[in-house]
Amino acid sequence: MMTKKLSIQRYLPEQGNAPYWQDFDVPFDDSTSILDALNYVKEELDGSLTYRWSCRMAICGSCGVMINNTPKLGCNSFLREYEGPVKIAPLAHFPVEKDLIVDMEPFLDHLAAVQPYLIDDSRLIDDNEEGTQTYKQTPAQMEKYKQFAGCINCGLCYSACPQFGLNPEFLGPAALTLAHRYNLDSRDQGKKQRMAQMSREEGVWSCTFVGFCSAVCPKNVDPAAAVNQGKVESAKDMLIGIFKG
Amino acid sequence: MNKGTSLNNDTSENMKRSDEPIWWGLFSAGGVCFAVFVPAAILFIALLIPAGIIAPEALSFDRARSMLFSLPGLIFIGVVICLPLFHAAHRIRHGLHDLKLGKEHLNKRVTYGGAALLSALALVGFAVGIL
Ligand code: SF4
Ligand code: FES
Repeated sequence: MMTKKLSIQRYLPEQGNAPYWQDFDVPFDDSTSILDALNYVKEELDGSLTYRWSCRMAICGSCGVMINNTPKLGCNSFLREYEGPVKIAPLAHFPVEKDLIVDMEPFLDHLAAVQPYLIDDSRLIDDNEEGTQTYKQTPAQMEKYKQFAGCINCGLCYSACPQFGLNPEFLGPAALTLAHRYNLDSRDQGKKQRMAQMSREEGVWSCTFVGFCSAVCPKNVDPAAAVNQGKVESAKDMLIGIFKG
Repeated sequence: MNKGTSLNNDTSENMKRSDEPIWWGLFSAGGVCFAVFVPAAILFIALLIPAGIIAPEALSFDRARSMLFSLPGLIFIGVVICLPLFHAAHRIRHGLHDLKLGKEHLNKRVTYGGAALLSALALVGFAVGIL
């Protein structure tokens, strides 16, 4: 079996302050993913290596790491794709807690800030009725937001975004995409509340349309397109506000 | 809530609407002008006429003056000078931000202020010309 050199950025806060690089030789074939390689290191070479994973099939979004400086899902990237040694580091722009584990709390806060759920106060009727009616939606109505509904909250787009790197208060690609996704949903009435978040300086307007978020997204959600459609919405919202006085 | 992020305290300062749509609108309009009208102007004024492909009389002094100091001339100034200036100012401002140079509110004043000043100068020139 062929082997490949893996350089992994280690950080063990209980042992020292500075991160350091550690090399491992890992056997691989055509089906060996980066996550398989990390599992091999942990099981066979160094049990102290720490990283996140769960589904192994690009669904849970927990295995994101920087592979040769590009944010990727470990389970979705394969050693066969890389010539020479492979550098693995924790996701950029997030605080590192240990080895490849980053603190995703800032990211989750940003997601929560845009109220990413159906808002429809007209449905709060009396207790008996609540929950008995079903929403109806045509395929055409669903098509409007479907593209933007595939996000698995992996955070790769935040590691790819230079504006989030410069300003961690920027709501960022995934949160703005989620906001746009619910705004486009025919069942939702919460656009007004979300618009206030989107129209802030740290909302859509911190985006300079770099587009790397869409390049790294493992689900082809195209957050850059969503954010720019959000800019048009925010600009329209401002104009309407001016005319309404 | 993580320290450093304060997204959910909806104080009015936090939720302030950005003025960016104005600059973004000028930037977008200027972008179209940069892509369409500026190259056309360069093609005619700086290439076709000097190369003799179009007769120089097409832009003789009298003809140029009567074309410039008219409504089409005013539109020409808008799409070839003013809007492209705001487009360029926007790019410079965001470029400075990306390079972490200067202070945001100061950069804004200098870049858009410069674009506004040069636009005003062009429009004053136009006003002087038609009077
Ligand atoms: S938009 Fe794409 S890259 Fe960003 S969190 Fe969602 S799935 Fe991940
Ligand atoms: S392990 Fe779930 S996305 Fe990679």
